[in-house]
Amino acid sequence: MIRFFVLFLVLLALLFALELTPWAQAWFVVPWTNALATISTSIVTLFDPNVVATGKVMRSTVNGFAVSIEAGCNGVEATIVLLAAMLAFPAPWKHKWIGLAIGIVAVQGLNVIRVISLFYLGQWNHDVFEWAHLYVWQALIMLDVLIVWLIWVRRVPRIDDARSPPAAPPAFAGT
Amino acid sequence: MIKSPLTRFILLALAWLPVTFAIWYFAAPILLWPAKLLINLVARTGFADLVRSVDLAAATVAFTTTLRPGSAQAGGAVSVDVNMLLYAFGLPLFAALTLAARQRDWWRALALGYVVLLPFIAWGVLADFLKNIAITASPLIASQTGFSAWQREVIAFAFQFGSLILPAVVPAIVWVLTHRKFLERLRDRRAVRQASG
Repeated sequence: MIRFFVLFLVLLALLFALELTPWAQAWFVVPWTNALATISTSIVTLFDPNVVATGKVMRSTVNGFAVSIEAGCNGVEATIVLLAAMLAFPAPWKHKWIGLAIGIVAVQGLNVIRVISLFYLGQWNHDVFEWAHLYVWQALIMLDVLIVWLIWVRRVPRIDDARSPPAAPPAFAGT
Repeated sequence: MIKSPLTRFILLALAWLPVTFAIWYFAAPILLWPAKLLINLVARTGFADLVRSVDLAAATVAFTTTLRPGSAQAGGAVSVDVNMLLYAFGLPLFAALTLAARQRDWWRALALGYVVLLPFIAWGVLADFLKNIAITASPLIASQTGFSAWQREVIAFAFQFGSLILPAVVPAIVWVLTHRKFLERLRDRRAVRQASG
């Protein structure tokens, strides 16, 4: 457990520092944030055609209300936490890759819901928007990361079990 | 009847969140008062040349600095307000997770988590304050702080880490550490189910 936490914290700090570099911002964070605005807008336009995306901004063409997706709301940090937690946990690599692929989709999927919900909450009530934006969704996204990790941890074989040879068949198995 | 302990835990955590958030919001001045004491202690010892006083009004920490808003001859002092709730939303999250796990000694975990989270709340608030006076303030004010370029970089990183990572991650870490038996049971039940299935 101690090894896991130390490795988790080291990976978390390294990945976060990497995210802050101009290179990562230019090649990954900004394109991803713009894509998030585009994806969210594409979903919204299925039932509300009066929404457009410009860069990382999602805007209503009816009342001019807009949300800009900033650091902390693009799901990158949540993904980094999940990445560090799965890489640090002792599990076979195959399980890690599968877990990461499904986990990132789950985290980013909820983040799209966050962006869309905030877009409409902001048009309805500013105080509710602030509350949801600053506190509630932050907690929900972390809860999502924790749940994804817990589900994954339940499914991965213990590393000792994975390394040990399969148990000999019982005596009556061949009959 | 929900058979899966994990599903039950998730549903309970979601049910507890509105309750813990409401308690946290209305009790914030009391709950966050120890964090304010810690902030005051660090600010007055570590940044005594910059901070004149630290006050708490509701959930907002008001730093009164020794910095001048304009030229050295001008009167007044720069003050910075920081909303503590921005760095403390981990408290209701931790409480909801702890109550949802339904361990026998839940109150002990709750108390331990609260104490452990306080320094990280203080980190976020102090880093926010330093970022305000050293980085986002006008050059006239920022230059009075005396921070070098690399110190500003450290402040920027401490602020980013203290606002984007720590408030959400620390409660989860503390919860995992205080609920190892619960996690073991989750894994063991699945292993038993797989073996019997």
